Amino acid sequence: MAIKFEHVSFQYKSIDNKGYLALDDVNVVIENTGEFITLIGETGSGKSTLVQHMNALLTPSKGSMNILGVKISSTAKENKDVQFNPIRKQVGLVFQFPEYQLFEETVEKDIMFGPKNFGVSESEAKKRAREAINIVGLDDSYLSRSPFNLSGGEKKRVSIAGILAMEPDILILDEPTSGLDPRGRDALLEVFYQIHTSLNKTVLIITHDMNTVYEYAKRVLVMREGALVYDGDPVKLFSRKNIDNWNLDVPDIIQLKDALESNFHLDMSGTIRNKKALLKRLEEVLS
Amino acid sequence: MDTLLGDDILDMIEIKNLGFSYQEDGVALSDVSFNVEKGEWLTILGHNGSGKSTLSKLLVGLLRPSSGTITVDGQVLGEESVYDIRKKIGIVFQNPDNQFVGVTVKDDIAFGLENLQIPRDEMVKRIDEYANRVDMADFLEKEPQALSGGQKQRVAIAGILAMKTDVIIFDEATSMLDPKGRKTILKYIQKLNEEGVTVITITHDMRESVLSDRILVLKNGEVLKIGPTKDILLDKETLESSNLELLLPLEVMHTLEQKNITHPKLKEFLWQLSLNT
Ligand SMILES: Nc1ncnc2c1ncn2[C@@H]1O[C@H](COP(=O)(O)OP(=O)(O)OP(=O)(O)O)[C@@H](O)[C@H]1O
Ligand SMILES: Nc1ncnc2c1ncn2[C@@H]1O[C@H](COP(=O)(O)OP(=O)(O)OP(=O)(O)O)[C@@H](O)[C@H]1O
Ligand SMILES: [Mg+2]
Ligand SMILES: [Mg+2]
Repeated sequence: MAIKFEHVSFQYKSIDNKGYLALDDVNVVIENTGEFITLIGETGSGKSTLVQHMNALLTPSKGSMNILGVKISSTAKENKDVQFNPIRKQVGLVFQFPEYQLFEETVEKDIMFGPKNFGVSESEAKKRAREAINIVGLDDSYLSRSPFNLSGGEKKRVSIAGILAMEPDILILDEPTSGLDPRGRDALLEVFYQIHTSLNKTVLIITHDMNTVYEYAKRVLVMREGALVYDGDPVKLFSRKNIDNWNLDVPDIIQLKDALESNFHLDMSGTIRNKKALLKRLEEVLS
Repeated sequence: MDTLLGDDILDMIEIKNLGFSYQEDGVALSDVSFNVEKGEWLTILGHNGSGKSTLSKLLVGLLRPSSGTITVDGQVLGEESVYDIRKKIGIVFQNPDNQFVGVTVKDDIAFGLENLQIPRDEMVKRIDEYANRVDMADFLEKEPQALSGGQKQRVAIAGILAMKTDVIIFDEATSMLDPKGRKTILKYIQKLNEEGVTVITITHDMRESVLSDRILVLKNGEVLKIGPTKDILLDKETLESSNLELLLPLEVMHTLEQKNITHPKLKEFLWQLSLNT
């Protein structure tokens, strides 16, 4: 079982009735376990639209999807018997804007909403809220606060906590690290990675941070103008010449590695995908 | 402050013993003092919840200080001066949704200009110019709500740039832009600053701070440190104590120094590299 898109296109309705094609014939398969994927691409390329299809918040204008065994097509008639709730329970989606997700009086109620909605008991939901708030780096005192009276990064953390507390089978996060301070960014990426490794869950992250892609992703998807233009290995992606056309950038690690190699003739070959590995190598070649 | 000194004022912004509390949740800023010179570019860094956005809202009179004073271009910020001061300071909010008032992108950019009573012809010209500058000219008739995250940020930026204020505050204004878009905007900010605009950028991306003149680091609502960009960028202890990080080349430099590993010219090279990110 997996999430499978077949020729999915999606058109937003607009006030001028022209419509706006945001997804253009997308074909992709995401396994329900064991994947760690980053989804990248220029502003407005369709990333948020694509992931909102993955838990059926949006349904295709053309083509069809199969989400964990449930078939969803492009006509309301064919979709009328689809049970959407189980899909949204299994596929957890953190929105790009936390404001779209926060609405309860307190942070605690907000985090409890998802689990309770999917059948978790009050006391269990409370327990999960406490755990989740700590996982995202906030202390218990935040539980009683209003989610609206928080800083931008704090809101982001609470919105992530709300989805973590649902314990979905597949975790999808739309720019989860934008607005986080650097330590928070690193800590949360580790959390997502841990969820992936220790529970063998599939995690998909949308990001504009090439370092995240290079350091964590096993697979990277690139979108451009509504189409999927790359699906594969991140290391290969960054060795290609056309990443400029896709508004991407070379990760800091690669830039530094290349610069050291060409200016100081240091041996930086092999896989060096994070800071730790880079520093270790430098120590070896310089001492 | 004596307004007769008018033209001699070197500071665009002067903040003295500023304090602020949100009613229910305690102190957000306490005893904050610093100046921003005319034509300076100041970066504000700090952990989530350190008080950066609160400070920026105080600067444009959206919040009222619990204590202390803010002086902008020689004028003390208060109930009477706030309208004058808002003509001098433009702010791009952290959440672009908080900026939108118009039905269309075009209305939205026009809104700020109407407030400044810019003549119609000039307004049309500026809307066109700045929509193009942020690459949103094809979206002028769209509703701001029906844009992607990065498109919203671009529109929010255009709306403020078009006002051509003396001071511009960017509160994490590029956090959702793609790498190329982010670089384009930063280059443009640099150009504005060279032309004399006073700039304050709030960011979590250390790479965005390298072009600025000075960096202010906030921690728990207090000024942890303020100093020349180079000094702060190299100050591992200060940065890490506010959940920040060293730029990658500088982290490498630091580690090598710690381990007493030296190599001719490598240090200077790493420093130059960090300025080019
Ligand atoms: N509600 C909407 N109505 C009409 N058009 C929309 C709507 N939401 C998004 N769009 C358009 O669809 C396209 C894809 O938007 P989407 O939000 O999926 O992009 P994205 O890749 O997530 O971009 P970003 O990196 O800026 O968040 C954009 O051109 C956008 O203007
Ligand atoms: N409307 C509000 N009501 C009550 N408290 C608030 C409100 N907005 C922010 N706070 C609190 O004030 C403190 C400073 O918030 P502020 O938004 O200034 O932080 P920030 O430095 O901009 O953080 P971030 O990097 O997350 O945007 C935080 O502890 C926050 O919880
Ligand atoms: Mg998006
Ligand atoms: Mg803020």
